[in-house]
Amino acid sequence: MNPLVEVSGLAYGYRREQPVLRDVSLRLEAGERLGIAGGNGAGKTTLLWCVLGLHRGRGSVRLFGEPATRKSWRRIGVVFQNPEDQLFMPSILDDAALPLLNRGVSPDEARARARRALHAMGLEHVAGRPAHELSLGQRKRAALAAALAPSPELLVLDEPTAELDRPSARRLADLLRGIGTACLIASHDLDFLERVVHRLALLADGRILACGPVGEMLAERELLARAGIV
Amino acid sequence: MISRRILAPAVPLLAFALSLLALEAWSGRPDWGLPLRTLAAAASLVLAARLVPWTALLRRVRPGSRLFPAALYLWMLRHFTRILLQESRRVLLARRFAAPRTLRAGCFRSLACAVSAIVIRVLLRAERFYAAQMLREIGR
Repeated sequence: MNPLVEVSGLAYGYRREQPVLRDVSLRLEAGERLGIAGGNGAGKTTLLWCVLGLHRGRGSVRLFGEPATRKSWRRIGVVFQNPEDQLFMPSILDDAALPLLNRGVSPDEARARARRALHAMGLEHVAGRPAHELSLGQRKRAALAAALAPSPELLVLDEPTAELDRPSARRLADLLRGIGTACLIASHDLDFLERVVHRLALLADGRILACGPVGEMLAERELLARAGIV
Repeated sequence: MISRRILAPAVPLLAFALSLLALEAWSGRPDWGLPLRTLAAAASLVLAARLVPWTALLRRVRPGSRLFPAALYLWMLRHFTRILLQESRRVLLARRFAAPRTLRAGCFRSLACAVSAIVIRVLLRAERFYAAQMLREIGR
């Protein structure tokens, strides 16, 4: 069976003389949760964008066994660092229903599934409200509900705990552990990653320093220091 | 050959010019002047923005000089344009992920909602930027 994500020898730079990613290789299997940890400017977001096919670098990036294209986005849920980016409809219920409607699900069924997704995130009572009336923690969960509503095979999260307080981050971690969907998570929040992911890749200066089981990686204090996260 | 990437931004402008022409025709006096002047103004602005080394020129203006207020105005204009571009890219990208199938249900409604969200977000960011400049006594 093909891995969900397979990156090999990826190199990418916004400018030719300044590579952001160098020789990056990683794999993500079905049902697995992989964390990408690194300090600011390590290349985490750029790597996610390359995986999604938004940036084309040298090397190979395959999603579901094929080169990443717009077609593969139908099987992916994405949660951006700023949840406001993806919550632009009149209510968060509309936001959660949009991907379903767009995939051809009937309006009634789409709204019912969107309600279920919001309920799972503890947001049913605010389903009719627009995102800007919610707290940041609620908006993060709403973005996650919108990404999960169409039952994606892969969930990509960019800095999911940015600007969240500890209880909200813990709640988000519990939610992600409970859904069972494969996740690719870029973050510098080691507590969060320890709770959520199976494997952790440490990224520094655009290179993967090491990748392995999260417990082992977090015990490597020297590597964590080199990655700029402790 | 002119690439699609260069031509794509011109499409809304051409649509605007054609709408102007259609309105003129509808009012009973079709006049090519207005749409052509619109296109010429846009083309000259794009050329000026591309060819003139604005950043280098603006950096040469010293604070306190007579040109400084004008330079500051252009600097802020550049900053606002960046805000507009950033916000547009982020929201429209998120919309492409939420509704990857064009011409399917929710496509046009989500586009309309995304565009109105961009306007609101740009205004909010512009307000924050203006407040910050006011506190630095620059915005007066």
